[in-house]
Amino acid sequence: MRPFGLRLGMLWALFVASVLMFVRNRAAVFFSLFLPLIIMLIFGVLNFEGSTTIELGLADEAQNEASQRLAGGLAAYDYLELSSGTRDAQLAALEAGDLDFVLLIPPGFDPQPGQATGLVAYASTADPQQSQVGQGLLQQAVGQAVFAPPGGAPGGGLGPPPVNFESVQSRDLGYIDFLVPGIVGMTVMQLGLFGVAFGFVHLKRTGALRRLFATPTSPAYFLAAQVGSRLIIGFVQVAILFGIGIWFGLQMFGDYATLAVIVLLASMIFLAVGFAIAGWAKNEDQAAPVANLVSLPMMFLSGVFFPRDAMPEFLANVTQFMPLTYVNEALRAVVNEGAGLASLGPQLLGMLVWAAITFVLAVRLFSWE
Amino acid sequence: MTHDTSAAAAAHRTGLPGAPIIVARDLRKRYGSLQAVDGVSFEVAEGEVFGILGPNGAGKTTTLEMIEGMRAIDSGSAVVDGIDVSADPRGVKARIGIQLQASSFFDELNLVELLDLFGHLYDRDVDAMALLAQVELTEKARSQVRTLSGGQKQRFSIASALVNEPRVLFLDEPTTGLDPQARRHLWGLVRAISARGHTVVLTTHYMEEAEELCDRVAIMDRGRIVALDPPERLVDALIGRGFTKARVERLANLEDVFLDLTGHDLREGD
Repeated sequence: MRPFGLRLGMLWALFVASVLMFVRNRAAVFFSLFLPLIIMLIFGVLNFEGSTTIELGLADEAQNEASQRLAGGLAAYDYLELSSGTRDAQLAALEAGDLDFVLLIPPGFDPQPGQATGLVAYASTADPQQSQVGQGLLQQAVGQAVFAPPGGAPGGGLGPPPVNFESVQSRDLGYIDFLVPGIVGMTVMQLGLFGVAFGFVHLKRTGALRRLFATPTSPAYFLAAQVGSRLIIGFVQVAILFGIGIWFGLQMFGDYATLAVIVLLASMIFLAVGFAIAGWAKNEDQAAPVANLVSLPMMFLSGVFFPRDAMPEFLANVTQFMPLTYVNEALRAVVNEGAGLASLGPQLLGMLVWAAITFVLAVRLFSWE
Repeated sequence: MTHDTSAAAAAHRTGLPGAPIIVARDLRKRYGSLQAVDGVSFEVAEGEVFGILGPNGAGKTTTLEMIEGMRAIDSGSAVVDGIDVSADPRGVKARIGIQLQASSFFDELNLVELLDLFGHLYDRDVDAMALLAQVELTEKARSQVRTLSGGQKQRFSIASALVNEPRVLFLDEPTTGLDPQARRHLWGLVRAISARGHTVVLTTHYMEEAEELCDRVAIMDRGRIVALDPPERLVDALIGRGFTKARVERLANLEDVFLDLTGHDLREGD
């Protein structure tokens, strides 16, 4: 019952009470679990990439009359969305999932009916089904553009297919892949800030906390139970969000252990912020504005819903140091790129510094009454 | 309970205190420029019901909290059941039960869950239903505290203070805000607890409550005890000094009329 003088029964009872208090508190459950879920469902159903066009990258290494004619011919097709660039740049874009195909026009391109054109198209492996359809359409479009110039007689006939296809390993990242890590970061933040700050301030104001310390229990047990229960709840929430995300097509490139480390570190930061606010505030009216002041800027400027590239440079420079920015960057690196802890140096350092700052803040500001 | 309750009861009825279970010596507490408690000394005998009376701000609650280990003592000492409060506040808390003036509990838990939790805080298993039966709240076992009436809340608060079978039960203004029926009902409960051998220390604003319940009362004013004796002896002493009431007491008062008209049954339908 009491190894090392630790009263496990007391700790367990406080932990269970803490979990029950959270899951039975409708407001807490709504704001920390259902709100992120609803946001994800809305964005998941909207599905921003319902486009039917083929994004084709041209790499023209011939730069002759024939290649110009081909490009001009392809431009006439509505279902092709063309872009030009160097071979390397276009292939990189293909790997990143920004293009569906890259068409390489070799030097000295001079197609003759009935002979191989020398054209090579690199296809993304991300979506095999779409790729099959795309290959057929591209074959047809190139055949028409090369051998049936406007005004000219249809030539060609039964030659080899005009384009040879090669596959390129690439990631097809959709908005859901961007959104889920952001929502996970936001949820961890909300749980720490609102789950802890409000529950605790309420207990403080009503005197329930005082009643607790009219018993021989120690504050350390109560705090340990609070932190432990919030961590467990946080991990359950992240698991649910991931489950829903994967159902909506989220791709997980990293491993879950790395993800768990990031979530744990992020929880530490925001739990400490929550306890700092809860310790300082005397009632909910004092806690609310401070919690919102902390959470709102991060919700919109730390890249939860939208990429931070779209921000003005000044704002991006300032907001890159916010704790949730580090958390979101690390989460996206793990989920979208399969990054391991070793390659997350800057983000981990940022998070550790914030964890240290917020911990000191929480200890300084905390008070029971 | 192992101690002999009848002996203790007999001891203080004869006016001779039994063995002291609380010894307070020259307690002092200052808040800024306010000397809230200014040298309070008294003893409470085992098995006694001891009342602390006084106007608001007299220092009743602060005195109680220092003895309970809920507030640091500036100077002086308090010993409860042989344990020095300043040296071992948790040891004292393990032996006493506390009903705070504005007691509040975790909103999301029901009465049984709360009592089980409190049991664990004392590191003991409790029979929650038996405790609720003691305070007549069995039918509310699965309710949350916020759904209880004022009297029910106070009774639950007392049940929560009994989970560790305390040597001393502290009640801070247990009947403030209750209607006459609920107040009388709570008096019955306090008498029953006392009869089971628990020592009870309570504060109150109601003189008739002190007369009904307390073996001895201490009257406090401005942080000091100005009188300490059994209620009847305090009254006799006042009459002995030649005091006469401006208005002659009738055989009944308005509260008797109220109770005669509305009955003694508890009203908890709200």
